[in-house]
Amino acid sequence: MKEIDARGLACPAPVLQTRAVLQDESPDRIRVVLDNPASQQNVQRFLESRGFRTLLETRGADYRVIGTLSDDEASTTSKPAAKSKMETEIKKIMVMCATDRIGFGDDDLGLKLMINFVRTLKEMGTELWRLVLVNNGVKLAIEGSEVLEDLQAYEKDGLKILVCGTCLDHFSLLEQKRVGETTNMLDIVTAMQVADKVVSI
Amino acid sequence: MAFPTNEDVLIGLDRADDAGVYRVSDDLALIQTVDFFTPVVDDPYWFGQIAAANALSDVYAMGGTPKTAMNLVAFPVNEMDISVLRAVIQGGIDKLVEAETVLIGGHSIEDRELKYGLSVTGFVHPDRVLTKKRLRAGDRLVLTKPLGIGIVNTAVKANLASADLVETVTRIMAALNRKAAEVMDRFDVGACTDVTGFGLLGHLAEMVSGSGLGARIDSQRVPMIPEALEFAAMGLIPAGAYRNREFREGMLDFSESVERTRQDVLADPQTSGGLLISIGEGQVADLILALKDAGIADAADIGAVTAGPDETIRVD
Repeated sequence: MKEIDARGLACPAPVLQTRAVLQDESPDRIRVVLDNPASQQNVQRFLESRGFRTLLETRGADYRVIGTLSDDEASTTSKPAAKSKMETEIKKIMVMCATDRIGFGDDDLGLKLMINFVRTLKEMGTELWRLVLVNNGVKLAIEGSEVLEDLQAYEKDGLKILVCGTCLDHFSLLEQKRVGETTNMLDIVTAMQVADKVVSI
Repeated sequence: MAFPTNEDVLIGLDRADDAGVYRVSDDLALIQTVDFFTPVVDDPYWFGQIAAANALSDVYAMGGTPKTAMNLVAFPVNEMDISVLRAVIQGGIDKLVEAETVLIGGHSIEDRELKYGLSVTGFVHPDRVLTKKRLRAGDRLVLTKPLGIGIVNTAVKANLASADLVETVTRIMAALNRKAAEVMDRFDVGACTDVTGFGLLGHLAEMVSGSGLGARIDSQRVPMIPEALEFAAMGLIPAGAYRNREFREGMLDFSESVERTRQDVLADPQTSGGLLISIGEGQVADLILALKDAGIADAADIGAVTAGPDETIRVD
């Protein structure tokens, strides 16, 4: 069973943490440990909105929610609420940049376009799920990149940025990376598979 | 604890209401109130407006007219740019101008976290003070702003609210209760309060408590921000909503037909919420019409004051 320790977190953080685990790992069973009854009820509501049957437990100062994904929602007694419209509409978009400039022809123009592209990506809102940087794209994530601050802001807002380790190594930039997680091809391919949409630049 | 008082204190700490009321003469009483809090929105200018609208609201809820105000500021001067503070105060000033209330002073301290609010003084005729405690059996209950502000703000914190929704909830919070109060002044209102941290159910419970009367809410008619119901289903509910509910559990009687999310929104703590007004059944239709004419589109007749059961709020 997947276990999440969300003690010490205030609303809405426990729900967001649970949501991230559901998105990334799709567990069938999950146990969330919290330190107050309001968070416990919130996580319960959240799991039920995602089709889980839930069980509440109190152990000492810990409040737990145990969720089991129901195979047949109709047969369960707890009648999980239908997935909220808000949630089902949110897609997972993965953007993969294999270059630090957009298009061919004029490199200065290409760089300007890329800066603009990265800054405008935020218009995707919460649907922007992964940003993957490979080949020359890794140069966006290093010291001196014109979009470094923008990428750091995205990361702070919860966007997972994956930076290709092989590529950093190839350009001898491993030490200069200032944002994102160093990643491998397996992670990239897995992310592609989970994403609802992959945009490649 | 014994609070200093005298015979001119019309509303004091012995009976918590929206604001204190002190009689100056036979035809003038002062309404005094103070409120401040940490930012509820990212934009400092809008935060200033919301804090001011919220502080002014207590005067409106007592049936008065705000006249003077003073700023209360806590500011992390070493960590935050002074332009942020300017924007906050400008927001407050613009709201005061809208309320035709003058700013005559204030006080600021250094603090680790930004806080802003105002102390507001208003005028009212001593015989026209509106309190929480004048419910009359058979009165209808009218609410002037939609509920769900706390839940939507939680979703905003979670980065799950759209830009449009952020704007909608910001405008709801920043809207003055002035027009509602002016319309209400033309009617024979029973009791009035503004809906804030205790949520609709908590504030209604305060009104009902000790009155010997009960209340009935038709939850389908209560104006709500639609997205609040969806976010409640996802568990994006502030802890205060659970506390509000738990605190008044003994007074609440929910019909089985009321979905849990709707119950959550009814208990949701509001920031700068609307007025909750009790008014005779014969006048309620005219009051709603007049409120709508004044631009208060969400105003709705949401239930009634009942002769019994005593101190119970029935929610259908």
